[in-house]
Amino acid sequence: MLTVTDVTKRYEGQDRDAVSSVSFVAAAGEFVALMGPSGCGKSTLLHLCGAMDRPDAGRIHLGSTDIAGLTDEALTRVRRQRIGFVFQFFNLLPTLTLAENIALPLLLDGVTPAEATRKARALGDRVGLTARLQAYPSQVSGGEMQRAAIARAIVHGPAVLIADEPTGNLDSGNGTRVLQLLTELNSSMALTILLATHAPEIAAAAHRTLHMRDGRFVASPEHGAPDLPVAAVPRAAR
Amino acid sequence: MLRLFAQLILRQLRAEKLRTAITIVGVAAGIAVVLAIRLTNASAVRGFEAALDLTSGRAGLEILGAGFGIPEQVLPALDWLRAYGATSPVIDGDVLVRVGQPEASSQAPARRTELLRVLGVDILRDFPVRDYQVGETDGGPPTPRAAADILALLTDPAAAVITRAFADRHGLRVGDPLQVIISDRPKTFRVGALLEAEGPARLLDGNFLLMDIAAAQWAFERLGRVDRIDLVLADGADVAAAERAIAARLPAGLTVQRPERRGQQVEQMLAAFHLNLTALSSIALLVGLFLVYNAVSVSVLARRQEIGTLRALGVTSRQVQTLFLGEAAVFGVLGVGLGIPLARALADVTVSLTSRTVNTLYVAAAAAPPALGWQDIALAVLVGVPLALLAAWLPAREAARVPPNAALRGAERAQARTAPQTRTRLLAAALLAAAGGLSQLPPVRGLPLAGYLASFALVFGAALLMPTLLQAATQRGRLLWYRLFGVGGWLAHAALGGAIGRVAVSVAALTVSLAMMVAITVMVGSFRQTVIDWVGQSLKADLFVGPASRRAGARAPTVSRQVEDTVRALPEVAAVDAFHSVTVPYANSLIYMGAGDFALQQRFGGLRFKEMVSGAGDAGAVLEGARTRDAVIVSEPFANRYGKRAGDRLTLATPAGPMLFEIAAVYFDYSSDRGVVMMDNATLARHFGPQRPTGLTVYLKDGRQAAAVRAHLLTQLDGAAGVVIFTNRSLREEVLRIFDSTFAITYALQGIAIIVALLGIVGTMMTLVIERRRELGILRAVGAGRGQVRAMVVAEAVMLGTISQVAGLLLGLLLALILVYVVNLQSFGWTIHLAIPWGALLQMCVLVVVTTLLAGLYPAHRAMREGRAPLEDE
Repeated sequence: MLTVTDVTKRYEGQDRDAVSSVSFVAAAGEFVALMGPSGCGKSTLLHLCGAMDRPDAGRIHLGSTDIAGLTDEALTRVRRQRIGFVFQFFNLLPTLTLAENIALPLLLDGVTPAEATRKARALGDRVGLTARLQAYPSQVSGGEMQRAAIARAIVHGPAVLIADEPTGNLDSGNGTRVLQLLTELNSSMALTILLATHAPEIAAAAHRTLHMRDGRFVASPEHGAPDLPVAAVPRAAR
Repeated sequence: MLRLFAQLILRQLRAEKLRTAITIVGVAAGIAVVLAIRLTNASAVRGFEAALDLTSGRAGLEILGAGFGIPEQVLPALDWLRAYGATSPVIDGDVLVRVGQPEASSQAPARRTELLRVLGVDILRDFPVRDYQVGETDGGPPTPRAAADILALLTDPAAAVITRAFADRHGLRVGDPLQVIISDRPKTFRVGALLEAEGPARLLDGNFLLMDIAAAQWAFERLGRVDRIDLVLADGADVAAAERAIAARLPAGLTVQRPERRGQQVEQMLAAFHLNLTALSSIALLVGLFLVYNAVSVSVLARRQEIGTLRALGVTSRQVQTLFLGEAAVFGVLGVGLGIPLARALADVTVSLTSRTVNTLYVAAAAAPPALGWQDIALAVLVGVPLALLAAWLPAREAARVPPNAALRGAERAQARTAPQTRTRLLAAALLAAAGGLSQLPPVRGLPLAGYLASFALVFGAALLMPTLLQAATQRGRLLWYRLFGVGGWLAHAALGGAIGRVAVSVAALTVSLAMMVAITVMVGSFRQTVIDWVGQSLKADLFVGPASRRAGARAPTVSRQVEDTVRALPEVAAVDAFHSVTVPYANSLIYMGAGDFALQQRFGGLRFKEMVSGAGDAGAVLEGARTRDAVIVSEPFANRYGKRAGDRLTLATPAGPMLFEIAAVYFDYSSDRGVVMMDNATLARHFGPQRPTGLTVYLKDGRQAAAVRAHLLTQLDGAAGVVIFTNRSLREEVLRIFDSTFAITYALQGIAIIVALLGIVGTMMTLVIERRRELGILRAVGAGRGQVRAMVVAEAVMLGTISQVAGLLLGLLLALILVYVVNLQSFGWTIHLAIPWGALLQMCVLVVVTTLLAGLYPAHRAMREGRAPLEDE
């Protein structure tokens, strides 16, 4: 479970908070969509939840661990073992094959290359990349790259998958396939997913949607009202 | 356009300060090394020529004898020379002067010796030739003195006239004793007067001593002869016509020439030595230019998207090309600007490193480099800037070809996995084939020009193969790197595979530098081993006795009769070979003419013959035949340089005129590349008159006593301040000491080239880190720790170093073959037997890999700062 409590973040040189006193809970196995216009604070919140940055104030619990107060080294360990990332622009390493990209988190965690490759292949098969695993990112389509990126994000069995506009750079067909894959993983692996998107049809696939504006949650995109804590409470908890 | 240049190029150069600085320093180092070697070469020749000008004074012509001066008895018969102008016979020599105190103290420096150039003249006849000005003894302003006054000073045989500069430097005053060593004879003079800085007194920082000619003849044991006659032609005389007319009337054995001819002979003699240094210095420049190519290539690759945007906005491809050539021009101009002052500082080092070699093996040279002239600066600008532009030509052209839609596609980082082009491989193969062909060609005017071209073709061919090599290296071995550096090594191996286009030039630059180091190490190691073998076989005598002044660079010092008699009288002595060695002109250059006791050579052996006249039999028979038939033997460098073989004839100038000598054999000799013509002592005496020997080789009845006999001999010679006595072992050590000092400059120049190339690796790694910051961010996002990212960058640097080292080793061994069998043979004429110093090469490999590891540390540190989060829509 991911619990965010009263989290605030302001970047150096900025005159307003990127995220301001935000709280929400994502239960284990819950698929939460995060919507809002560009610059509303979605990615900052994903950074914070993904242990890539520390908040200025507030707490972020991943399970029982408050990751807001961890050292850089401990945050790295959290990312390596308990978080998976999927990015809009795939962010595969161009010098690694798809199989090697998928195996990367395992290798970083000390798994031997042979074992990591075996697991990567198995997962590659599962996401439909069997024939493309030896290809480099520049040699495959955007959809295939994103499927490889998703495989990389879950290969180490993370507790939470953070996805930032995962379909934003794909055509509708590939977008749909990627979304199907995410929902399937969510249900089959009981994986908590926190997904930022501009697209309502993508958000519709989530269990619940949180709307953001100016660094805060709002009731809906039309309202623009201040925080509505009720929106941040999991449906199951209501 | 200028604004665009400032915005696109200059701003980026300022932003990437370290990479910019590295490139500029690389170009500056190349320029500095080339200029420093130019100054060094000039210092030797100009130093000699300046001394020549000062000692020759106003003399337009000089009359020379054959090898051992002009017999005094012919002087009256040359009275007709006065019709052409004023004549002045001269004794020209060197003495050692002891300066400082016997015991060093805080007030007085320790005792040491300095070499002084001595002119012995008939002052009344010499005044039209040279200027002298004697200062007042009380230190007041100098006033010109009449010749008669100076004559009065010189006629006192115990008085020496030295320069005020020398006296001031050593705290000497008129009337003080002056201890000198002439050849091997210590003598104490009294400072009679001080010469102001005028004429020859300006020589060698004032290291000059004026004597009366008769006193000099006596002091140098040159009684009955003079070294030359200087001739000042009458005003308006046609020098060429006078030279022809005088040559026609001179008796046999005498020649006339312009004084500058001696300078030309020295220049010719030093040509190969200087060409070698110049070729070596060009490597550093080449590496510096690699850095320019690298910097501009990276600049183009990293700004592909910006270039595309510019093209989309209407900037022409020619303008784009000009922008990036402008970047190279910035590197060139700033590199030259920094390189010029650097050259002056470096020249002090290179001159000190080479002057010992030049002094020992060739000619007394200046100890300080000449000032940088406008020609040097013009050369730096005319070489540095155009070459920088040339180096950047290809990447600038690549920039010009970037299409406008590159702006839309993004930076195309993912398309980095480019395969090496077939065209490049074919060009590389053609260059390697050309290297093979060129290495078979003969020298041009005694210089191995084709050999150098072969080396350059080999180097460029190998450099073009670098992408292929890198591709091969990155297709295998990932597990090995994983084992060495963990996942960092695994990632580095993959990353390198995607950066071949970027790193190939840096790897090529480091490879070339390392290859040169390997080649030089192998060449010097082989040469050293050859010399060790040669010395082991050639040095058979137990003791070697010679004048101390020879070691200091004095010209033709001789062993006095007293020393020779003392040596011969020792009961432990079995035989003494009194040998002679004198510098004589031969075919536009200078050679050594030597003489020894061939009968003793027959008896004790020592010479190794490369070839003998047909039917001569064994070495003993050859020497016997040469002794009885007045034939000579020549050294291998002489034979190679002048195209002579056993059985040929050569002409030597003798007091009786030019004389033909048969060459009985060619022998191996590594003492001098000038070439040596050796004859038996009896032959020398017959054709050149009796001469004092220049050294003694002593064979003992029991060789094991050498050290004891040496000590005994030193006692007999009363401390023997003027004599140097080597045992067989210490002479071998001395030979190797001189050998090693000769190659100090070689290693120094190569060291600079390697440092520049390593800077290139740092620059490349920095560039890769900056360029990959997004990928580093991804790595951090998916859980790579700081240590893993650092390990990746360091591992990549080590990989570059290792690949460069392996390629450098292979290329270096091939270059070594060209150096040993082509360049050295054609430059210096000696056969070197290849001996690969594996130990030294292994040390070098380890050192390079460790250094590249260290070179990766800073970029690794930067990598942690550059790794930024890839979520960039905020």
